[in-house]
Amino acid sequence: MTKALIDVKAGEKVDIFSINAGFKAHNFLADLGIHEGEKVRVVKNDYGPIILEVKNTRVAIGRGLAQKILVK
Amino acid sequence: MHSSDDQGRFRNIRKKKRLKKRKGKKYYSSKNHSIEHVIGFLGNPNVGKSSLFNELTGSHQHIGNWPGKTVEKKEGHFILADEYFSVIDLPGTYSLSGRSDEEIITEEFIVQERPDLVCVIADAMRLERTLYLALQAFELTDKVAIIVNMIDVAEKHNLEISRKKLASLLGVPVILVSALRDSSLIELKKFIYDAIHTDKYDFHPAKILYSSKIEAIIRKISEQIADRKVLKEYPVRWIAIKLLEGDNWTRSELSKEFDLETLLKTLEEIKEKESINPKVEIAKTKYSGLHTIVTQSVKGDLEFKETISDKIDKIVLHPIFGYPILILIYALFFFISFSISSPIIEGMSYLLNLFAEYIRSLMIQSSSPEIITSFVVDGIIAGISAFLLFLPLIIIFYTLVAIMEDSGYLARSAYLMDRFMNKFGLQGTAFLSIVMGFGCNAAGILATRIIKNPKDRIRMIVSLSFIPCAATLGVIAFITGIFFEPWKASLIMLGLYAFSIFLTLISSSILRLFMEKEEPLPLILEMPEYRKPILKNIYYLTWSRAGVFVKKAGTFIFSASIFIWILSNLPYGVSPEFTILGYLGKVFSFITYPLMGLSWEMIAPLVFGFAAKETIIVALGVIYASGDLKTVLLNLWSLPQVISFLLFQLTYAPCFATIAAVKSETNSYKWSLFSILWPLFLTTLITTIVYQILRLIV
Ligand SMILES: Nc1nc2c(ncn2[C@@H]2O[C@H](COP(=O)(O)OP(=O)(O)OP(=O)(O)O)[C@@H](O)[C@H]2O)c(=O)[nH]1
Ligand SMILES: [Mg+2]
Repeated sequence: MTKALIDVKAGEKVDIFSINAGFKAHNFLADLGIHEGEKVRVVKNDYGPIILEVKNTRVAIGRGLAQKILVK
Repeated sequence: MHSSDDQGRFRNIRKKKRLKKRKGKKYYSSKNHSIEHVIGFLGNPNVGKSSLFNELTGSHQHIGNWPGKTVEKKEGHFILADEYFSVIDLPGTYSLSGRSDEEIITEEFIVQERPDLVCVIADAMRLERTLYLALQAFELTDKVAIIVNMIDVAEKHNLEISRKKLASLLGVPVILVSALRDSSLIELKKFIYDAIHTDKYDFHPAKILYSSKIEAIIRKISEQIADRKVLKEYPVRWIAIKLLEGDNWTRSELSKEFDLETLLKTLEEIKEKESINPKVEIAKTKYSGLHTIVTQSVKGDLEFKETISDKIDKIVLHPIFGYPILILIYALFFFISFSISSPIIEGMSYLLNLFAEYIRSLMIQSSSPEIITSFVVDGIIAGISAFLLFLPLIIIFYTLVAIMEDSGYLARSAYLMDRFMNKFGLQGTAFLSIVMGFGCNAAGILATRIIKNPKDRIRMIVSLSFIPCAATLGVIAFITGIFFEPWKASLIMLGLYAFSIFLTLISSSILRLFMEKEEPLPLILEMPEYRKPILKNIYYLTWSRAGVFVKKAGTFIFSASIFIWILSNLPYGVSPEFTILGYLGKVFSFITYPLMGLSWEMIAPLVFGFAAKETIIVALGVIYASGDLKTVLLNLWSLPQVISFLLFQLTYAPCFATIAAVKSETNSYKWSLFSILWPLFLTTLITTIVYQILRLIV
C-alpha cells in the first residue's frame, strides 16, 4: 500500500516508492541518498517541513515536495 | 596565505577557458621553496572541511555550521620538508552533478588545474553519505585520497572504522583524523606528503559498475565520442555518464563536434521503454556500492538513535513553541547587538569629537587657511569617524550571527520560516539573507548565495535594499528620539522594521510576476547537529562578514564624507542654501515637496545617503547649521513631514556599497540600475500615499 510521505507519522520507517518531483529536485534528492527503494525514517512531521533521517543525517524537505514522494 | 578573490574567474571558466594548464605536475615557485604541490579539499557541507583546512594552513577564514555556505575559493598553504603545499578549500557540495556554480567550480578545478592530490573529506558518522562524493571524484581522476574526519565523535559512539579495509575497498589511501586533535594534524601533513611522494599508497579507485543496461549505453556513447576534440581533458566514461544523466553542458559542448541527435533519441527511447531514470539509477548504484563497502569496514551500532539534537529540536522546532522561541532569540539578538554597542559608540563618539576639536584648534593656532581646516576636520576626520562609529555595531551583530550559525540554530530558523517564506515564493533559506541584511545590506546580498534558484536569488538581491541596515537604524533612532517619547519611538521603530520586511517580501513577490517562471526548487536542507560554538570559528566567521563592511563600506563612507564636504561647502563661505548641495536639494524638492512634503533641507541629506546612510545625520547638521539640530528640527518639521521623512529614508535607495554588491553578484548593469530605480519608485509611491492621507487627517 502506498501513501504520500506527508501522511507518514513521525518515528515510522518507510520505503520510498516513487518521487514525482521536478528534474532538479529529483536529482538533488538522489544525490542525498533519497531515492526509490531507499529506506528513510520520518523524524518530524507536524507543521513545518518534514524531517527525514537518511544515512544518519537529518534532512528537512518542504511539505509540497513531501506530497510528491510516495512511500510504502 | 594566498587568499585570492578570483571567484569570478572560476565562475566563468566554462565560457572562457582561461585557466592556464600546468606543464607536467609540478611547477617551480619563486622564493625559498623549490617545489609546489597543489591539493584540493573536497567534501559535503559540514564535514569539517574548513576546520581541517584552517588547522592545516593556519589561514582561518570560514568555519561554520551552515550547510553549503562556503562558496568562495580559498587557498592556503603549508610547508613540509622544505616543500610548498598549496591547499584549495573547494566549496562544500553534496555531489558533482554540475548543477550549481559550486559543482562547476569543483569539476573544472579537478580537470583543468590538475591538482597533485584531491582529498575528499568524509564524516566518520556519515560515511555512506559523505563518501558518495568520492565515488564521483573517482570518475574524474585517480589521484584521490580520503580523509575521514570527526573520528573523535565516532569513538564516542563506539564505532570502529578499519582504515585498511576502507582503503583496500576504495582503492585509494585513507586516513582517520579529528580536526580537534593536534596529533591528527601532523599525521595528515605526512599523509599528504607520502601520498604525493612515495609509492606507499595505491591509487586504483574502485570502479562502479552500473546495471548492464546502463553500461551498454555508456559503452555506446563512449565509442561514438572516443576521438573527440572537445572536452579532451575529461575522461570519456565521465562524459558518457554525464550525457546519460542529462547534463546540459556536456551535451552542448559535444554537439559542437558531433551530431548527437540520433544518439539522444535512442537514449530517450531506452529510457521510455525500460522506464528508467539514469541519473537516479546511477546514484542508487553508487550508494548500494558504498553500503557494501561501509558495512564491511565499520564495526559498531549504526542503528537509528534519537540524538540530543533530535530532543532539542522537539522543543525548538515545535509547531507552536518554536515560533515564540524564534521571536525571543531574534529579539534577544537585536537587543544585545544594540545595547552592547550603543555605549561603546557613545564613548567613541565623545573621544573622536575631542580629537577633531583638538586638531581644529591646532590648525587655527598655526593659522592655516579656514577652508583647509574645515576640509581636514569636517571632511576627512568626520569621514573617518563616521566609519569607525559603525564598526562596534557591525562586529557585535555578526558575532552573534556567527554564534547562531555555528551552534546550528540558523539552519533551524530557516526551517521555521520556510512555510511563511513559501507564501512569497521563497524558501526558508531566504530568511537568512534578510537577517544578514540588517547588519549591512551588502553582506546580506552575499548571503543570498544560499538561495539555489538563480531567479529567486536575483529577486532577493534587488529586494534586499528594502531592509534597513544598521546605518539606517541610526537615522531612525535619531529622528524618532527627537519627536517622540521613548516608548512611542520604540514602537515606531519596530513598526518600521516590520514594514520593511513586509516590503522586501512584497517586492520579491511583485518581481516574480514579471519573471519567467522556472521550476521551483523546494526546500531540501540538511539539519546539522547542534554543536557548542567554537570561539575560533566565531572569530573567523565574524571577520568574513564584517570584513565585507570594512572593505566595501569603509572606502565608500570615507570618500562620501569628502564628497559631502565639497558639495556642502562650495562655493566656500556662502550659507548652505547657496552651496551645490542647496541647489541640488531645491531641484529635487520641486517633485518631493508637493508629493511627500520633503523640503530641500530634508531631501539634500538623502543625496548623501546614496553614498552611505550613516552620513544623513551629519548632512542634516550641516544644513540646519543654526543652533542645536534637535531643537531646530522640532520647530521646523510637521508631524506628517516627520513620518514622511522616516518612511522615505527607510527604503528609498541602496547605498553605493550595496549597489556594488548587486553588480558583483548579478554581474549585470541592468539589475544594478534596477536595484536603484525600483526602491526609489516603490518608496515614493508609498510615502506619497501615506503623506497625502496624513495631511488630510492631521
Ligand atoms: N567533534 C568534531 N567536530 C568537528 C570536527 N571537525 C569539524 N568539527 C565541527 O563541525 C562543524 C562544521 O565544520 P566546518 O569546518 O565548518 O565544516 P565544512 O565542511 O567546512 O562546512 P561548510 O563550510 O558548510 O561546507 C563546526 O562546528 C566544527 O567545529 C572534528 O573532527 N570533530
Ligand atoms: Mg567550510
